[in-house]
Amino acid sequence: MTKKLSPILAIDTSCDETSTAVTVGTTVLANIIASQTQLHAPYGGVYPTIAKQAHQENIDQTIQVALKRAQLSWSAIQAIAVTQGPGLAPALEVGIARAKQLTTQYQKPLIAVNHLEGHLVSIFAQPRPQNWRQLSAQQRLDRENHYLATFSFPALGLIVSGGHTEFILINQLGQYQVLGQTIDDAAGECLDKVGRMLNLGYPAGPVIEQFAKKGDATAFEFPLPMTTSDDFNLSFSGLKTYARNLITKLETANQLDQQAVYNFAASFQKAVFRHICYKLNKILKEQKWQTNSPKQPKTLAKPSQNNQQLWLGGGVAANLKLRQMLRATLKPYKLKLQTPYNKKLCMDNAAMIGIAAGFTLQRGKVVKAIEKLQRRPRYNL
Amino acid sequence: MQTIKLTSNNHQQVLDQAVAALQKGELVIYPTETIYGLGVVATDPAAVNKLLQYKSRREGKPLSIAVSNPDMAAKYVMINDQAKKLYQRFLPGPITVISQGKNKAAPGVESEFGTLGIRIPDYQLIRAVVKKLGKPITATSANASGKKRPYTINDILDHLSNKQKKLLGLIIDAGKLPPNQPSTVIDTTLSTPVVLREGQLSTSSKSTTKLPSAQLISHSEQETQQIAGKLMLKNWEKLKKQGLVIGLDGPLGAGKTIFAKGVAKFLHIKETITSPTYSYLNEYDYQRGQTSGKFYHLDAWKLQDPAVIDKLQLNKLVQPKNILVVEWWEQIKSSLPHKQPLQVSITESKLDHPRILKIAQTN
Repeated sequence: MTKKLSPILAIDTSCDETSTAVTVGTTVLANIIASQTQLHAPYGGVYPTIAKQAHQENIDQTIQVALKRAQLSWSAIQAIAVTQGPGLAPALEVGIARAKQLTTQYQKPLIAVNHLEGHLVSIFAQPRPQNWRQLSAQQRLDRENHYLATFSFPALGLIVSGGHTEFILINQLGQYQVLGQTIDDAAGECLDKVGRMLNLGYPAGPVIEQFAKKGDATAFEFPLPMTTSDDFNLSFSGLKTYARNLITKLETANQLDQQAVYNFAASFQKAVFRHICYKLNKILKEQKWQTNSPKQPKTLAKPSQNNQQLWLGGGVAANLKLRQMLRATLKPYKLKLQTPYNKKLCMDNAAMIGIAAGFTLQRGKVVKAIEKLQRRPRYNL
Repeated sequence: MQTIKLTSNNHQQVLDQAVAALQKGELVIYPTETIYGLGVVATDPAAVNKLLQYKSRREGKPLSIAVSNPDMAAKYVMINDQAKKLYQRFLPGPITVISQGKNKAAPGVESEFGTLGIRIPDYQLIRAVVKKLGKPITATSANASGKKRPYTINDILDHLSNKQKKLLGLIIDAGKLPPNQPSTVIDTTLSTPVVLREGQLSTSSKSTTKLPSAQLISHSEQETQQIAGKLMLKNWEKLKKQGLVIGLDGPLGAGKTIFAKGVAKFLHIKETITSPTYSYLNEYDYQRGQTSGKFYHLDAWKLQDPAVIDKLQLNKLVQPKNILVVEWWEQIKSSLPHKQPLQVSITESKLDHPRILKIAQTN
């Protein structure tokens, strides 16, 4: 049960993106990502890289636009949240320094958030309803609590992005346990790199998804990695090397025509997702995630046998083929797949940081010594 | 505004009319193999301005251009190897290939970063129009910004204001188009490497001379890690006194991260070493015997701008007891010239064959 809803201004500068959001509980009032919003007219929809991205230059603009879009002034903001890690140290530093300064200037509490927790809770995000401004504080609170009651614990989390691929047991909000993770490349990175070998530019992952729709996913066979390992870890570098050898062979034989590229995209994408689904199935089969009997969650409804969930987050969570394959894997175990409501929430964004911060604030965990808050580039869950 | 219905026997007439309208600087709605497009001559600033008015709220989003063939494309963009392959394989077809522009189009066509998308529509009539015109036309979707994808002329007109309608010159109505997706956009401007360019490894910059290099053969991931460990042992004193830089090169999938895992193992780091491609730089604390320091693992795959080196503060990292391992060293070596790395290149004699690790020390 949430007792009070507080508007939070959240900042994320974990890697390439600069983002500021305003959230109230799980409701997103604004979610501004510098590269996506035409702050200074960058290429629409194409991801930036650090080379093109200047957090320093973008951050104030994203803050202004976020407040404007949320139709709130600083006086209405109850707390400031910032990503502490994991991420690129100099990038994190920009967000943290800004958050500290704002905290002092406006005398608001500061909440430090783990970026991965943000991805996990991105499934909670809900858009601002049409009648938001007409709702009273009590109505908003009732709406929030009604919504939160639809989630249950323990839940299983899966983050699939360019930088991370991991399974997480969520005993309750704030209590996480990594069940398995990649030991080399992340799934999104693997798709991008193999896409690059097929000359599909950067980022190639979304192109692979498009091309896969035109291809035959059974045209090429790929190995299933890590079947002999007893853990829930993943590995994608072997698939990458296998794909590279296959591409070289096809190119040498002059067989990599248009349809072959479509087929390769479809087959390879399936191989990457099959590996994730294989390990997911192993977790479900061994019921590893249920044996950790959790304490009764404080903020959410009681776990119900019929409402067990897999929470999916991260950039690759936007891929519809992945969602389809995950649903098929979950079906025999009667788990439901929960996904973020739009693509932006899958990317690195500050709304998910705001939502995580909202839960953290409920637990009363604010940063005590603000000046001492340090970035944590290798912050684990 | 004039509408002309495209039939099986009026192609020549439509072609002439379209070319005439475009030459006059008018906006032309035309069919493609994907959705209805909106064309003006891409080199005509007044016409492009009119188009931007029509689209409204684009706020600087770049436009793509339709050309008749790769030769015309080459006049407007720089076509790199990757783009060339895409042209060969997919064009004409529903693909937009983004390259670095040559600033030959009217203002507002290229992106802020000077990039430009090229389309060669798989629609003969449109290629013929562009060919006859001798200049590219814009290839943006014909709907107003944020409105429905246009598969019929009504999809467009139903959502237009009178003001927008007045901006239109000619509509080529080919009826209901098949429900194909809009073109897939492929950005080739970030020059992430797949393999090193020919000869890149053998010739290092003239200011440095190389000691004779050692060649080692690895048959497995374990062996690659052992080689890394031996190299670390050999340079352990140097690392403690001055710090150490190891530059790794080799194609995608050669085993550069595996080598880095070997370095971490030597340093008794328990954490799993994962690829730093996306985070650029991973940082680990190590303690080996009485010595403790930092292991920095950098991936330069996505780095091509020297200014980035400042942003990553790389020069500060190399201190006594610290080690910096850089994947895709060749990408950034010119930005770190004075750091005298151990250079390790990993190659294969043939596919699926053992890896050859060539180790060289620059003075």
